[in-house]
Amino acid sequence: MSIEIPGLPEDMPGAELKYVGKDVKRIEDPGLVAGTVEFIDNLDLPNMAHCAMLRSPHPHARITGYDTSAAEALPGVVAVITGEDVKRWANPVTTAPEGWGSYCLAVDKVRFVGEPVVAVAAESRYIAEDALELVNVEYELLPVAATAEEAIKEGAPRLFEENESNVILSKTYDWGDVDQVFADADHVVSETFFWNRVGANPMETFGCVSTWDTVNNSLTIHGSFQTPGFMALGRAFSLNLPTNKVKVVSHPHGGSFGGKGGPRGSEISSLLSRKAGGRAVKYIEDRVEYLLAGAGQSWDRYYDASLALKADGTVTGFKVKLLDDQGAGAEGYGTISIAKPIAAFTGCYRIEAARYDLNVVATNRAPTYPYRGYGPPPHNYVLESLMDIAAQKLGLDVAEIRRRNYIPPEAFPYTIPSGNEYDSGQYEVTLDAALELADYEALREEQARAREEGRLLGIGVCSVVEPGVFDWNAYTTVGIQGVGVPEGAKVSVDIMGQITVTVGFSLEGQGQYTLAAQLVADFFGVDMAGVRVAYAATDVAPPHFGPGGSRLGVSITGAVLGACRKIEEKFKLVTARLMQCEPAALELADGFVRIKGVPGAEMHIAQVAGTMLARSDLLPPGMEQSPEATYVWTAPGRTEPDEQGRCKSYLTAANACHVVMVEIDPGTGRTDILKYCVADDCGTRLNPATVEGQLMGGIAQGIGAALFEEYVYTDDGQPKVSTFAEYLVPTIHEVPKTDKAVIVTPSPFTPLGAKGCGEGAIHTTPAVIMCAINDALLPLGVQARATPASPNRVWDLLQQAK
Amino acid sequence: MKPAPFDYYSPDTLEEAVALLAKLENEDLDAKILAGGQSLMPMLSLRLARPDALVDLRKIGALDYIREDGDTIAIGAMTSKSAAEDSDVIRTRQPLFHEATLLVGHRQIRNRGTVGGSFAHAEPTAEYGAAAMVLGMDMKVVGPNGERIVPAKDFYVTYLTADIDSTEILTEVRLPVLKKGTGWSFQEMSRRQGDHALAGAAVTLRLVGGVCKDVCIAVFGVNASPTRLAEAEAFITGKAATEDNAREAGRVGADGLEEPMSDVHATAQYRRGLIATLVARCLVEAASRAS
Ligand SMILES: Cc1cc2nc3c(=O)[nH]c(=O)nc-3n(C[C@H](O)[C@H](O)[C@H](O)COP(=O)(O)OP(=O)(O)OC[C@H]3O[C@@H](n4cnc5c(N)ncnc54)[C@H](O)[C@@H]3O)c2cc1C
Repeated sequence: MSIEIPGLPEDMPGAELKYVGKDVKRIEDPGLVAGTVEFIDNLDLPNMAHCAMLRSPHPHARITGYDTSAAEALPGVVAVITGEDVKRWANPVTTAPEGWGSYCLAVDKVRFVGEPVVAVAAESRYIAEDALELVNVEYELLPVAATAEEAIKEGAPRLFEENESNVILSKTYDWGDVDQVFADADHVVSETFFWNRVGANPMETFGCVSTWDTVNNSLTIHGSFQTPGFMALGRAFSLNLPTNKVKVVSHPHGGSFGGKGGPRGSEISSLLSRKAGGRAVKYIEDRVEYLLAGAGQSWDRYYDASLALKADGTVTGFKVKLLDDQGAGAEGYGTISIAKPIAAFTGCYRIEAARYDLNVVATNRAPTYPYRGYGPPPHNYVLESLMDIAAQKLGLDVAEIRRRNYIPPEAFPYTIPSGNEYDSGQYEVTLDAALELADYEALREEQARAREEGRLLGIGVCSVVEPGVFDWNAYTTVGIQGVGVPEGAKVSVDIMGQITVTVGFSLEGQGQYTLAAQLVADFFGVDMAGVRVAYAATDVAPPHFGPGGSRLGVSITGAVLGACRKIEEKFKLVTARLMQCEPAALELADGFVRIKGVPGAEMHIAQVAGTMLARSDLLPPGMEQSPEATYVWTAPGRTEPDEQGRCKSYLTAANACHVVMVEIDPGTGRTDILKYCVADDCGTRLNPATVEGQLMGGIAQGIGAALFEEYVYTDDGQPKVSTFAEYLVPTIHEVPKTDKAVIVTPSPFTPLGAKGCGEGAIHTTPAVIMCAINDALLPLGVQARATPASPNRVWDLLQQAK
Repeated sequence: MKPAPFDYYSPDTLEEAVALLAKLENEDLDAKILAGGQSLMPMLSLRLARPDALVDLRKIGALDYIREDGDTIAIGAMTSKSAAEDSDVIRTRQPLFHEATLLVGHRQIRNRGTVGGSFAHAEPTAEYGAAAMVLGMDMKVVGPNGERIVPAKDFYVTYLTADIDSTEILTEVRLPVLKKGTGWSFQEMSRRQGDHALAGAAVTLRLVGGVCKDVCIAVFGVNASPTRLAEAEAFITGKAATEDNAREAGRVGADGLEEPMSDVHATAQYRRGLIATLVARCLVEAASRAS
């Protein structure tokens, strides 16, 4: 059966949409406000024990012995596990390229400070932590590869000794005739850039409660999981269980942004439960653990990049050499983050040819994990900075050089050199909207006046493509097996006509439950308040992936509408039989199935569903007694990557232009954001208020990356960040008010024309702030090329300029 | 991040608390006073502090007051920093202390954190340290042998250490009100609003015939304890607080500092640079407020 999913809001059944496209209040929020939502730390299972972990104080060392006897003897201790248990019972994670994954607890050696070495389950977390102090681990220290640069040197200490070197991946993608394009260029601009380690910091850290059923040899893990199905699958592989014997129950969680990795935490608590004879074991990661060794570190990069230019400002080529520090192996699907830029490698621009030269390296820093944006934010910072450098070289305005290079609206769908297809866009319209919002000319005049007074004012203008709706094929060329990303929803109408949507993901903050309710309410023409959205654990949920890759808004729209369509068809068959008409004569509107054009000839959906469930005798012969349907949506037209990684990976290409003015205090190096304007086009806005929320969050995190956040390590691999006193996340005070303009270019490929927008502004904000800072510094002849542009870094540049 | 085991006491009166501290000391037990807990609780949770016993002062209501005593304001040690912030007396009669209070963390922290706790904790980045030095505050400390008054210049011993014995309790801090005509300024540089300062400065001065007199400059966040900048004070004394003179005074003050602290947010050199900037700015602002 082929299901036709509405491609635009006007294709929905019924005359008028009451919810879709409106600023709808989120159904998730009352529970959050009232405190009735069950976050994982609120869950107490009977006879539950509590886990604490002893972590490595060394960046690199061999484990030569354990003594856990005193800890085991401490009253209240239930179980202790070490690498020895793990070697026997578990496997390294499968989310890394072959040979680069770790076990959940260090086996034989430790590779980063904070790596779990011994774990204890006890009657309370207090006792568990007391017990850790009684554990003795003997180490033989090993030389350290503290940076990617050191790690690739000849004779560098090897982290994974079975492997030949610390290079996880070394690869050059060539798209088009890059050498020729550079040879033919009128100008080439080149620069090097450092992007220092940043990452997700959700308000709630990871947590879980694991119960190993020793009779059935099966495992249930309750936890704050972003991608429950994927997590269950991974744990089955690493804990040697059949895939149908691991059940994951995802609890509502306080944000994730990629940082709710949790493989280690869930495996360790599971093995403790196994050792404790099946007692439930809770693990709540604390902030120190999270910052040292959780899933919150990402994108540790050194770039050397160039643009080839024609005299008129046309950009013809883009070369990027990337040295990426993955940390201690690639357990956290870190390699994905270097692959995602391929989906929008050349940004908004018509660039003929590009090269991506990758060296992805293991070091004795904490392993990196996904972070909102999944890799392009640093890449965009590089591309957009080079666009500014090119503009200076040619004496062009930074907005003008972009304008000259945009992919024109009539060129869509447009295939970029690196293979992905952009669905739609009007980049110049977005640019003009942002410039107008900012009153760009007035800003430049203000800047000129300020410069005369010796003030350091800078303006940034950045245009970026924000890829959305990732697919299995996006990452296969970097050694991650493509797991599919189907998204399913079940819609059921009960005997009273009440509708429930069942999904496989839980609350994380983006408001997709609200979206599901909006869609169902408008599709059937019922009151949204009556629609219930329910969570199903992995053992009963339809195939699902969950939030990630700016995917869920679009994919759940497809799933819910697909399921609604199936029900609509069934309802029409039933109604047609009861009303003795053709199904095609019927329409669904306002909660009724009606004969078109015949007032009063209608049945309420409650009557239809009620009939289906209660009166089998009235149904068309052979029809299932089931007023419910499941639909699993997937993106159309996805292709297999070729040897250069080219494929249709991300279905949507959202676009944004940010215009920002900053001022640098010459006495302190501090940057203040004076003006922040955003024009944003993510296609149809299903719930504009939610889009705005996502946008603001992305801006906040982008400001963090550009100005505040950094996981600092010493030269010998010791982390200097272990609390929020060192890792500075911007607060409400540091995030400015923004002016926003909305552009809507619907996607021709998605349900209702919506594009992925969940990661959104973080793709653009770091780039635009860095560009603005460098614009401010321009008269001084110094430029900031390392993020974050902390006051100390900027002050150092100011001293150089003196 | 759970504290190691400890015994917990919460005496009702100051006398009980002092007696309890003496008893615990006699038993060779390490006791710590708990005030607002804003610094101590994280240290316990990180197991950086692991005392045998906590003596919580929260029930001792007699240590919670703000009193005017002629030209002195006395603040009980257990007064919350938000009460100090909201006090009209402090705001109008000693605006420098009011300003310093506003810069301590966030309102939530000031709600729980006490005035006494900030002084006793003697953090290098505490705003109150510089306020104490420029204002010439006095601290009242009570122990088994009765009370003693410690002037600010003797109070700060070193990093996280004030002149309070393990059996003593800081009960009150006293500040003189701002003299008529005195100009003042309090400025700091922090990464985000409410963060500990990377560096900060406090200035009081008078203008006589257009030139600076009675100049007090103290800085914090750079060395183990708050520091008076005698050389900068001497430099600006007798000169007009022009931008140029102020800048030069800032430079003299910064150059004269002992090697500043260094951490993830600020190198020693940067801290020195900040002091030059902040002292200069404070001098100009203080002069603009003097009459
Ligand atoms: C996020 C955050 C930001 C902060 N920012 C700043 C800032 O910008 N500037 C700043 O100055 N501080 C800052 N602080 C620290 C805060 O001001 C603390 O409140 C203060 O340092 C201690 O006061 P307290 O009442 O909480 O004391 P506690 O934490 O209870 O005690 C601190 C120490 O002082 C001792 N002590 C407390 N009271 C007495 C007493 N009466 N007699 C003897 N000893 C005593 C305790 O034994 C302990 O050793 C911040 C704290 C946080 C959590």
